Amino acid sequence: MKFKGVTLNARTAVYLCLAVAFLIPLGMDPDGYLLRIVSMVVLFAAMAQAWNIVGGLANQLSLGHAAFFGLGAYTSTLLFIRQGISPWAGMLAGGVVAAVAMLLLSIPLFRLRGHYFALATLAFAEVLKIIAIHFADLTEGPTGITIPYGEPSFANFQFESNTSYYVVIVALFAVVSLIFWKLSTGAMGFRLRAIRENEQAAEVSGIDTYRIKLGTSMVSAFTMGMCGTVYAQFTYFFDPESIFSMTGISVRVALICIIGGMGRLWGPLIGACILIPLDEIAVNTMSDVAGLGPFVTSVILIAAIIYEPRGLISAWERLRRRAQKKHAAQSGQAAGAV
Amino acid sequence: MKTDLSKELIGITGEFKGHVPLLEVSGISVTFGGLHALSDVSFTVEPNEIIGIIGPNGAGKTTLFNSLVGLQKLSSGHVNFDGKRISGHKPHSIAAAGMTKTFQNSALFPGMSVLDNVITAALLRNPLKTARQESEKVLKKLGLYEVKDTDVADLTFPQKALTELARGLASGPRLLLLDEVMAALSPSEMDDVIGVIKEIRKSMSVSFLVVEHHMRAIMALCDRLIVLNFGKKLAEGTPQEIAKNPQVVEAYLGSSASVLGGEHAA
Ligand SMILES: Nc1ncnc2c1ncn2[C@@H]1O[C@H](COP(=O)(O)OP(=O)(O)O)[C@@H](O)[C@H]1O
Ligand SMILES: [Mg+2]
Repeated sequence: MKFKGVTLNARTAVYLCLAVAFLIPLGMDPDGYLLRIVSMVVLFAAMAQAWNIVGGLANQLSLGHAAFFGLGAYTSTLLFIRQGISPWAGMLAGGVVAAVAMLLLSIPLFRLRGHYFALATLAFAEVLKIIAIHFADLTEGPTGITIPYGEPSFANFQFESNTSYYVVIVALFAVVSLIFWKLSTGAMGFRLRAIRENEQAAEVSGIDTYRIKLGTSMVSAFTMGMCGTVYAQFTYFFDPESIFSMTGISVRVALICIIGGMGRLWGPLIGACILIPLDEIAVNTMSDVAGLGPFVTSVILIAAIIYEPRGLISAWERLRRRAQKKHAAQSGQAAGAV
Repeated sequence: MKTDLSKELIGITGEFKGHVPLLEVSGISVTFGGLHALSDVSFTVEPNEIIGIIGPNGAGKTTLFNSLVGLQKLSSGHVNFDGKRISGHKPHSIAAAGMTKTFQNSALFPGMSVLDNVITAALLRNPLKTARQESEKVLKKLGLYEVKDTDVADLTFPQKALTELARGLASGPRLLLLDEVMAALSPSEMDDVIGVIKEIRKSMSVSFLVVEHHMRAIMALCDRLIVLNFGKKLAEGTPQEIAKNPQVVEAYLGSSASVLGGEHAA
């Protein structure tokens, strides 16, 4: 398709549609339910993208990313409340705290193989939850922290309109996705793919697998910490149970990424677009029967994983290839008939 | 002049005070539980040498290679590369020092093309752009350029073995260990690979340690042979010496013809 001298191929068309889709919520009612859900979808896409950096690129399946999320939220919030430090600076500090925590956790873990990483990260998040509950002097304990509502200002990371939060969340998703994209392309992309496919062969080919895995996991933790700050500023309230939640955060971001497509740039967004609204519907319509909502989502998830273990993005690509083949075969027949 | 003299002396005596071989393996042993996979193995490799390692299945050849490149911990002994202690180092730093190996049961990166597999190793000493150029050169040399965009999972056995060789070469080694890269090749493909290995030794001064069951390849390639049996070094010498060695003949349970005459000695 030619358009004012610009050749419009399928790829740029998709990106244009995507850009427009991100713009639509700017016109939504700032106090409406819809904008809130859309914001949550993009925020969870950013969190899943952070998970994707270590889970998808380095193949280290974390089931405790809530740990880094919570460390980010607590660090920036406590710095803001106690020291009056801007949450923007707090966001970076939270990222550093999360990355250092990942470093300390990973040094012993990477020597172990298999599912130890998943189990240890899971346990780490649970331990942080208990610490946050019991060290009430520092963390306000189980009641959680309410961020005092001050004068809305950019420096305070507080905005009058929810539309502004949406913009910040989209920017967060863009930043984390850019980091993911940088790591997955170029020389580092080759190295990470090699590590994923055969660690011994990667080592023998001169790749420092330990250092690269450590580096990517720290970047993942850093970005997850940043997400924690944005979440805290967006919701104005969090407590140890919700911020360090296994089902609500850790497992959820992993599932979003797995459903959408692990190691794929658009996997987390696709996964979040499906899983977050689904959870929302389940909560709103099936809350009468205890456990029915989670049950229905679980069934859908299992079905999706059985149907396409490499995520919906792969399923979509497969369908498209099939359609292209069919199309090619048809036009071949047509040409033959002439 | 001094270095020339020392080189001459090495030529005469094989040893010279202050001379450092490229690889020096000193009394290495590896045990798996109670099994002695390697016992007190010692040998040296000089620059530009091609040395064959032969021995029956289970003799410890692969274990020896894994020990040299750092994939296998030693129970005792040590290894020096270019005068520096490398035993105990990680495989990636040994690869950076200049020694790497190919895998007997091809360990390529599936889901990646032939070219991408080779580029991954070439990145050890090159930025991406030159890594790509270097890799294409290596693929042309090995006759793999036509399949460079094929997923390695879709290759034939001989192509997989050659891709292993290409990946090994692309990392820019000074000593490359080849673990049965020719096992699946036809006689004419084997001749091509033998030619390439000899050419690479000359043009890039790379040394090789070669594990191979095809005696024709071993005879055509190697300056020296080391015979392993039950993890021990049984003999070492020129192919002709080895062919006449009564111990070796006995280990192979046959006539000398079956050691160095047949296609499959082991
Ligand atoms: N990882 C391992 N664990 C236990 N035993 C092993 C291991 N690797 C090799 N072996 C044993 O060590 C011996 C030498 O094996 P290997 O080096 O593969 O022999 P070759 O390559 O000469 O055929 C064999 O008996 C083999 O079963
Ligand atoms: Mg072997």
